[in-house]
Amino acid sequence: MKYLLLLNNDARQWEAWRGLSPEEAERLRGEEMPRWTAAMGWMAEQGIEVTGLELEDPSEGRVVRVRDGRAVVTDGPFAETKEVLGGYFLADCKDLDQAIELAQRIPLADKGSVEIRPLVEQ
Amino acid sequence: MKVMALIYGDEGRWDSFGESERSAVYARYRAFAEAAGDKVAGGAELAPTRTATTVRVRDGQTIVTDGPFAETKEQLGGFYLLDCESLDDAVELAAQIPGAATGAVEVRAAHEEEPS
Repeated sequence: MKYLLLLNNDARQWEAWRGLSPEEAERLRGEEMPRWTAAMGWMAEQGIEVTGLELEDPSEGRVVRVRDGRAVVTDGPFAETKEVLGGYFLADCKDLDQAIELAQRIPLADKGSVEIRPLVEQ
Repeated sequence: MKVMALIYGDEGRWDSFGESERSAVYARYRAFAEAAGDKVAGGAELAPTRTATTVRVRDGQTIVTDGPFAETKEQLGGFYLLDCESLDDAVELAAQIPGAATGAVEVRAAHEEEPS
Protein backbone atom coordinates (compact mmCIF):
# COMPACT_ATOMS: atom_id res chain seq x y z
CA MET A 1 0.00 0.00 0.00
CA LYS A 2 1.45 3.31 -1.02
CA TYR A 3 1.23 6.35 1.21
CA LEU A 4 2.19 9.95 0.71
CA LEU A 5 3.69 11.37 3.90
CA LEU A 6 3.45 15.14 3.94
CA LEU A 7 6.14 16.57 6.17
CA ASN A 8 4.85 19.78 7.67
CA ASN A 9 7.13 22.16 9.45
CA ASP A 10 6.09 24.77 11.99
CA ALA A 11 5.65 28.04 10.06
CA ARG A 12 7.74 29.85 12.71
CA GLN A 13 10.62 27.47 12.00
CA TRP A 14 10.55 28.55 8.35
CA GLU A 15 10.67 32.17 9.44
CA ALA A 16 13.58 31.56 11.80
CA TRP A 17 15.35 29.66 9.02
CA ARG A 18 15.12 32.66 6.65
CA GLY A 19 17.18 34.78 9.04
CA LEU A 20 20.12 32.37 9.05
CA SER A 21 23.35 32.73 7.15
CA PRO A 22 24.06 29.89 4.67
CA GLU A 23 26.79 28.59 7.02
CA GLU A 24 24.45 28.56 10.00
CA ALA A 25 21.72 26.85 7.96
CA GLU A 26 24.23 24.24 6.84
CA ARG A 27 25.35 23.64 10.41
CA LEU A 28 21.78 23.14 11.69
CA ARG A 29 21.02 20.88 8.74
CA GLY A 30 24.08 18.81 9.63
CA GLU A 31 23.00 18.58 13.27
CA GLU A 32 19.66 17.10 12.30
CA MET A 33 21.13 14.75 9.71
CA PRO A 34 21.77 11.77 12.05
CA ARG A 35 18.04 11.58 12.82
CA TRP A 36 17.15 11.64 9.11
CA THR A 37 19.79 8.99 8.45
CA ALA A 38 18.34 6.86 11.28
CA ALA A 39 14.84 7.16 9.78
CA MET A 40 16.15 6.19 6.34
CA GLY A 41 18.07 3.26 7.89
CA TRP A 42 14.91 2.05 9.62
CA MET A 43 13.02 2.17 6.32
CA ALA A 44 15.75 0.14 4.62
CA GLU A 45 15.64 -2.43 7.46
CA GLN A 46 11.88 -2.74 7.10
CA GLY A 47 12.20 -3.09 3.34
CA ILE A 48 10.09 0.01 2.75
CA GLU A 49 10.64 1.43 -0.72
CA VAL A 50 10.65 5.18 -0.56
CA THR A 51 11.26 8.29 -2.64
CA GLY A 52 11.06 11.83 -1.41
CA LEU A 53 11.96 15.45 -1.75
CA GLU A 54 12.76 18.40 0.43
CA LEU A 55 11.02 21.55 -0.78
CA GLU A 56 12.23 25.13 -0.86
CA ASP A 57 10.73 27.89 1.25
CA PRO A 58 6.92 28.04 0.74
CA SER A 59 7.09 31.82 0.23
CA GLU A 60 9.08 31.16 -2.94
CA GLY A 61 6.32 28.98 -4.34
CA ARG A 62 3.46 30.06 -6.59
CA VAL A 63 -0.22 29.31 -6.66
CA VAL A 64 -1.83 28.93 -10.08
CA ARG A 65 -5.55 29.16 -10.78
CA VAL A 66 -7.11 29.23 -14.22
CA ARG A 67 -10.37 31.15 -14.40
CA ASP A 68 -12.22 31.93 -17.63
CA GLY A 69 -9.27 30.53 -19.53
CA ARG A 70 -6.78 32.90 -17.87
CA ALA A 71 -4.02 31.87 -15.50
CA VAL A 72 -3.99 33.84 -12.25
CA VAL A 73 -0.66 33.40 -10.47
CA THR A 74 -0.11 34.48 -6.88
CA ASP A 75 2.78 34.05 -4.46
CA GLY A 76 2.70 31.06 -2.16
CA PRO A 77 1.96 29.50 0.15
CA PHE A 78 -1.43 28.08 -0.84
CA ALA A 79 -2.92 28.50 2.62
CA GLU A 80 -1.97 30.46 5.73
CA THR A 81 -1.59 27.62 8.18
CA LYS A 82 0.43 27.18 11.36
CA GLU A 83 2.30 24.34 9.72
CA VAL A 84 3.62 24.41 6.19
CA LEU A 85 4.66 21.62 3.84
CA GLY A 86 8.42 21.20 3.79
CA GLY A 87 8.81 17.95 1.89
CA TYR A 88 7.39 14.52 1.37
CA PHE A 89 8.05 10.81 1.37
CA LEU A 90 6.24 8.47 -0.97
CA ALA A 91 6.49 5.12 0.84
CA ASP A 92 5.29 1.62 0.13
CA CYS A 93 4.25 0.37 3.57
CA LYS A 94 2.61 -2.87 4.74
CA ASP A 95 -0.30 -0.99 6.26
CA LEU A 96 -1.29 2.25 7.96
CA ASP A 97 0.30 1.13 11.24
CA GLN A 98 3.68 0.83 9.55
CA ALA A 99 3.18 4.24 7.94
CA ILE A 100 2.45 5.70 11.41
CA GLU A 101 5.54 3.94 12.75
CA LEU A 102 7.54 5.59 9.98
CA ALA A 103 5.92 9.01 10.48
CA GLN A 104 6.92 9.20 14.15
CA ARG A 105 10.57 8.60 13.21
CA ILE A 106 10.68 11.63 10.92
CA PRO A 107 12.44 14.51 12.69
CA LEU A 108 9.78 17.03 11.62
CA ALA A 109 7.08 15.11 13.56
CA ASP A 110 8.23 16.68 16.82
CA LYS A 111 8.12 20.27 15.53
CA GLY A 112 5.29 20.11 13.02
CA SER A 113 3.31 17.14 11.78
CA VAL A 114 3.34 14.29 9.33
CA GLU A 115 0.11 13.81 7.41
CA ILE A 116 -0.34 10.34 5.96
CA ARG A 117 -2.47 10.05 2.81
CA PRO A 118 -3.16 6.74 1.09
CA LEU A 119 -2.80 6.78 -2.68
CA VAL A 120 -5.54 5.86 -5.10
CA GLU A 121 -3.98 2.95 -7.01
CA GLN A 122 -5.31 2.26 -10.45
CA MET B 1 14.97 21.41 -11.63
CA LYS B 2 12.42 19.26 -9.82
CA VAL B 3 9.18 20.98 -8.87
CA MET B 4 6.26 19.64 -6.89
CA ALA B 5 2.84 20.69 -8.20
CA LEU B 6 0.22 20.20 -5.48
CA ILE B 7 -3.32 19.98 -6.76
CA TYR B 8 -6.03 21.34 -4.46
CA GLY B 9 -9.74 21.13 -5.06
CA ASP B 10 -13.13 20.84 -3.42
CA GLU B 11 -13.43 17.20 -2.40
CA GLY B 12 -17.19 17.48 -2.05
CA ARG B 13 -17.41 18.22 -5.74
CA TRP B 14 -15.42 15.10 -6.61
CA ASP B 15 -17.52 13.00 -4.20
CA SER B 16 -20.67 14.16 -5.98
CA PHE B 17 -19.34 13.04 -9.38
CA GLY B 18 -20.72 9.93 -11.04
CA GLU B 19 -18.74 7.40 -13.05
CA SER B 20 -18.92 9.29 -16.36
CA GLU B 21 -17.91 12.63 -14.84
CA ARG B 22 -14.93 10.97 -13.15
CA SER B 23 -13.88 9.29 -16.39
CA ALA B 24 -14.00 12.65 -18.13
CA VAL B 25 -11.71 14.18 -15.48
CA TYR B 26 -9.29 11.23 -15.70
CA ALA B 27 -9.24 11.63 -19.49
CA ARG B 28 -8.26 15.30 -19.09
CA TYR B 29 -5.44 14.30 -16.73
CA ARG B 30 -4.19 11.65 -19.15
CA ALA B 31 -4.22 14.23 -21.96
CA PHE B 32 -2.25 16.65 -19.76
CA ALA B 33 0.37 14.02 -18.90
CA GLU B 34 0.71 12.97 -22.54
CA ALA B 35 1.18 16.55 -23.69
CA ALA B 36 3.68 17.26 -20.89
CA GLY B 37 5.76 14.19 -21.81
CA ASP B 38 9.12 14.01 -20.03
CA LYS B 39 8.27 17.03 -17.93
CA VAL B 40 6.10 14.82 -15.74
CA ALA B 41 8.53 12.81 -13.62
CA GLY B 42 5.98 11.34 -11.25
CA GLY B 43 2.76 11.91 -9.40
CA ALA B 44 -0.14 10.35 -7.60
CA GLU B 45 -3.80 10.68 -6.84
CA LEU B 46 -4.64 10.75 -3.14
CA ALA B 47 -7.60 9.16 -1.40
CA PRO B 48 -9.91 11.76 0.21
CA THR B 49 -8.79 13.61 3.34
CA ARG B 50 -11.25 11.58 5.44
CA THR B 51 -8.72 8.75 5.04
CA ALA B 52 -5.86 10.96 6.27
CA THR B 53 -3.99 10.36 9.52
CA THR B 54 -1.82 13.00 11.14
CA VAL B 55 1.10 12.13 13.38
CA ARG B 56 2.83 14.45 15.83
CA VAL B 57 5.45 13.74 18.45
CA ARG B 58 5.38 15.97 21.52
CA ASP B 59 7.60 15.40 24.58
CA GLY B 60 8.50 12.00 23.21
CA GLN B 61 4.84 10.94 22.94
CA THR B 62 3.30 10.04 19.58
CA ILE B 63 -0.09 11.65 18.99
CA VAL B 64 -2.13 10.17 16.16
CA THR B 65 -5.25 11.96 14.93
CA ASP B 66 -7.68 11.26 12.09
CA GLY B 67 -7.92 13.79 9.30
CA PRO B 68 -5.57 16.22 7.60
CA PHE B 69 -3.16 18.50 9.49
CA ALA B 70 -5.22 21.58 8.64
CA GLU B 71 -8.78 22.20 7.51
CA THR B 72 -8.71 24.13 4.25
CA LYS B 73 -11.43 25.21 1.83
CA GLU B 74 -9.79 23.17 -0.90
CA GLN B 75 -8.09 19.88 -0.14
CA LEU B 76 -4.96 18.27 -1.53
CA GLY B 77 -6.12 15.65 -4.01
CA GLY B 78 -2.94 14.75 -5.80
CA PHE B 79 0.38 15.96 -7.08
CA TYR B 80 2.79 15.85 -9.94
CA LEU B 81 6.54 15.88 -9.74
CA LEU B 82 7.65 18.09 -12.63
CA ASP B 83 11.04 18.31 -14.27
CA CYS B 84 11.30 21.89 -15.51
CA GLU B 85 13.78 24.50 -16.73
CA SER B 86 12.65 27.07 -14.20
CA LEU B 87 9.87 27.92 -11.77
CA ASP B 88 8.22 30.02 -14.52
CA ASP B 89 8.28 27.00 -16.79
CA ALA B 90 6.63 24.99 -13.99
CA VAL B 91 3.97 27.68 -13.49
CA GLU B 92 3.15 27.55 -17.20
CA LEU B 93 2.83 23.78 -17.05
CA ALA B 94 0.81 23.94 -13.82
CA ALA B 95 -1.77 26.11 -15.58
CA GLN B 96 -2.38 23.17 -17.95
CA ILE B 97 -3.20 20.78 -15.09
CA PRO B 98 -6.99 20.23 -15.16
CA GLY B 99 -7.29 20.95 -11.42
CA ALA B 100 -6.01 24.51 -11.95
CA ALA B 101 -9.30 25.37 -13.68
CA THR B 102 -11.49 24.13 -10.82
CA GLY B 103 -9.25 24.57 -7.79
CA ALA B 104 -5.63 25.62 -7.40
CA VAL B 105 -2.18 24.24 -8.09
CA GLU B 106 0.66 25.16 -5.74
CA VAL B 107 4.09 24.99 -7.31
CA ARG B 108 7.05 24.35 -4.99
CA ALA B 109 10.67 23.98 -6.06
CA ALA B 110 12.66 21.10 -4.61
CA HIS B 111 15.80 21.75 -2.59
CA GLU B 112 18.74 20.72 -4.81
CA GLU B 113 20.13 18.21 -2.32
CA GLU B 114 17.59 15.43 -2.13
CA PRO B 115 17.47 13.52 1.13
CA SER B 116 19.11 10.18 0.52
